[in-house]
Amino acid sequence: MNFPVWNVVFGADLLIAMVAILHVFVSHFAVGGGLFLVVTEHRARRKNDTALLGWLKAHTKFFVLVTAVFGAISGVGIWFTIGLIGPTATSNLIHIFVWAWAIEWVFFFLEITAALLYLYGWNKLEPRLHEWYGWVYFVAAYASMIVINGMITFMLTPGRWVKNHQIWQGFFNPTYFPSLAFRTAIALALAGVYALITASVQKDAALKARIVRWSACWIVPSLAVLPVLGWWYIHRLPADVWTSARGGMPTATHFALFAVALLSVTFALALLTLVRPGRMHLAFSLLVALVALGAMGSFEFVRESVRLPYVISNYLYANSLYSKPIAGDGGFSVDQVTAAGVLHSAKWIDIRTLTLNDQVAAGHEIFRVDCQSCHTTSAYRSMKRFIQMRQWDQAKIAAMLGGLEFMHNNVMPPFAGTDAERAALAAYLTTIYPVSAAAASAATDGRTVFAQNCSMCHRVSAADPLFMNLSRDPAIAAESLSDLTSLFPLMPHMKLGIRQRVALVEWIDAQRSAKGFSGAAQGEK
Amino acid sequence: MLIQSSLIPAADPNPLPAPYWVFELFLIATFVLHIVAMNFMLGGGVLALASKWRAKNRENGNRVFLDIAKKLPIFLPATVSLGIAPLLFVQVLYGQFFYTSSILMAWPWFLVLVLLVIAYYGFYYVSYRGGKSMGKAGGVLLGSTILVFVIGFLFSNNITLSQTPSRWGAKYFASASGWHLNLTEPTLIPRFLHFFAAAVALGGLLLVFMALANWKRDREYAGQLLHFGGKAFMYATMAQIVVGIVFLVSLPQAMRMVFMGANLVATTLLMVGILGAIVAIFLMSEALHSENIRAAAYYVPAIVAVVIVSMSIMRDLLRNAYLKPYFHPEQFAVKTQWSVLPLFLGIFAAGVIFWLVMIGRYGLPGGRRHSA
Repeated sequence: MNFPVWNVVFGADLLIAMVAILHVFVSHFAVGGGLFLVVTEHRARRKNDTALLGWLKAHTKFFVLVTAVFGAISGVGIWFTIGLIGPTATSNLIHIFVWAWAIEWVFFFLEITAALLYLYGWNKLEPRLHEWYGWVYFVAAYASMIVINGMITFMLTPGRWVKNHQIWQGFFNPTYFPSLAFRTAIALALAGVYALITASVQKDAALKARIVRWSACWIVPSLAVLPVLGWWYIHRLPADVWTSARGGMPTATHFALFAVALLSVTFALALLTLVRPGRMHLAFSLLVALVALGAMGSFEFVRESVRLPYVISNYLYANSLYSKPIAGDGGFSVDQVTAAGVLHSAKWIDIRTLTLNDQVAAGHEIFRVDCQSCHTTSAYRSMKRFIQMRQWDQAKIAAMLGGLEFMHNNVMPPFAGTDAERAALAAYLTTIYPVSAAAASAATDGRTVFAQNCSMCHRVSAADPLFMNLSRDPAIAAESLSDLTSLFPLMPHMKLGIRQRVALVEWIDAQRSAKGFSGAAQGEK
Repeated sequence: MLIQSSLIPAADPNPLPAPYWVFELFLIATFVLHIVAMNFMLGGGVLALASKWRAKNRENGNRVFLDIAKKLPIFLPATVSLGIAPLLFVQVLYGQFFYTSSILMAWPWFLVLVLLVIAYYGFYYVSYRGGKSMGKAGGVLLGSTILVFVIGFLFSNNITLSQTPSRWGAKYFASASGWHLNLTEPTLIPRFLHFFAAAVALGGLLLVFMALANWKRDREYAGQLLHFGGKAFMYATMAQIVVGIVFLVSLPQAMRMVFMGANLVATTLLMVGILGAIVAIFLMSEALHSENIRAAAYYVPAIVAVVIVSMSIMRDLLRNAYLKPYFHPEQFAVKTQWSVLPLFLGIFAAGVIFWLVMIGRYGLPGGRRHSA
């Protein structure tokens, strides 16, 4: 609301994800691969393995062309992209951590210099000095990761910083060390994964076998410790945050499964390379890299999704509104915007008054500043798909917008705006995928009624209030669902027909019996 | 004006983690380093192509071409890494303006990175394969140089747009899809050409440094480099005086007056810049006549360094003049991060020393100080 919103048709979030995933897949290689280069060089020289040295020289070229070119530029690319899509968060991260970024820059500069001198030095420097540049490279690259890790983990778990704004507490936050260990293991594994690629094109089978076995020594142990490090990482997260990846939120849950599955496949493929290491094909090495990319991308998706609704936890929401009013926030906290109205608060909006005639146009503007940081109309996280899936008519959308913050394990910020603006947003969303009132109440089987009306906030679980507290007496239960807000004030103000309520109650009871939930006693509310 | 200033985003709620002047100092200092590396890259690319296509003796032309081309894969990452720091500090101080203009031209701005990657691979291609296929290498280098040229043009668009908030509203409310440029800005082309001419001039100095490096080993070749580079420097700098005047004239009157008496520092710096350029041209001309490599490779660059620093400070004064109605350094709350700033300063100083040790141990010849 403070900045203009760039309308990325296919999804702003998706653009960040694409740039970020490609970057991390290369940047972790830049760290682990640096250690790989210098350790392998040292080994090859000690064993007087000239063939291995010859390969390593070519591998260095590959390494620099991938990391110093694509890696470095895409790193700047993330910065450009988040500045375009999340300027408020970017500005906050820069103002809070500018000196840390500046320190990272010093290491980055040394890293790039050392990479080039190491590359050009193969033909020029005596071995000890050449290895010295290799070590300088690795130390600088790792130092750069040590710094960046602080800012990335800060966003997920800013810890006590939120209360006291002490920078070191924000930097060495609860997930700092597990994340650093986790990323270090990934970096070491990727060093091996990338080495497989240049190894695969070697003609000398004995040399190829040596490199493949050596690469596996980097991949297999690193991946083997990842589950333990992952466990450590997850256990430093607040429990409710991790619930998102355990079924609470579709994106986080799916990608958590992908991450585990693809990681296992990478592990299996790495072991498979050892079966006939001298005959490994380029296509196979690329497959390993592709699966590893999928695993890494999934992990980053999980990290980003469980952080929602925040971009900086307990401080700044994904739609650039501050979660609580703070001095100097320009009025861009949820509470202030709700009190003053979006149309009065947002700077980059050209509709300032709301009338029935321009309800849809105003709703569109509200969608842009409130929702578009994560949602599109018909592409990534598309509203069209959600509305179609749930079959919500305008009234139901308006009612549901009142409880966004409870949906999918609380992954959305509360709606910021007045009631009239919420109605305008609903009017706009209806135009994306119009659903008639009749269609909205057409479902008559309990499972569909639940999926369309309840499943955003309620989960089939013994601990869920709906499954726990709904009366076991079907008549009383169906009656109790007739006025949801009086049942519980935070429930949406919407009405289900009697047939839908009866079907819903039947289905809930069936679930409770099938899954053995011990719920409320007969006749109890 | 009222509507336009209401568009300007509120500043970040976090206080500045050091006084304003500290960031200004770092911004200007790192910008100077960035621009020198950029000039060597772009100017080097242009002169490599010129030498290939204009040289009377094809073999010599190709030699100069390859000699420069081999350095471009170093100047590009140097430009990028030295550019990160000023980009960081500009976001610390002027984020309200810079993010906004970037968003208005989001796709071209995003495209900068794509073009950079392509240009970079092009430079590497020429550096590794150039000797084997000269024709193809010329084409690839031309492509990469054009990309770098376009990137510079996009930067000029963004910076001018960030300084003219009065243009924002019309663009954004016409379309939020991020495809705007700032083509109707009268200072855009003169400003961009001002940077481009500087790049060619500095490219000339790069050749003079290469002449210095070859002076004892291969005097004939060094002489060619000196004359080619020295002339490029002189002609580009002469053109620069014209372009600079056009740029000055194209500025809105209030901004122009800043450099013409209204602000004593700015006016003095402009004088230093113009006089420095003229002296440098004469000195270079003398050096070419007498084949005086010392004058060409030490004295001229020393004067040019003064000019570049003056111009960079002027650039900053111009920005502040443009933003005067909307931006006041006093607006910042300052809370110096005493627990981190000394650490940065220590690491920065150690980093510079260590970097020099790295370059020293490698045994690079002089004259490539900014080559990362």
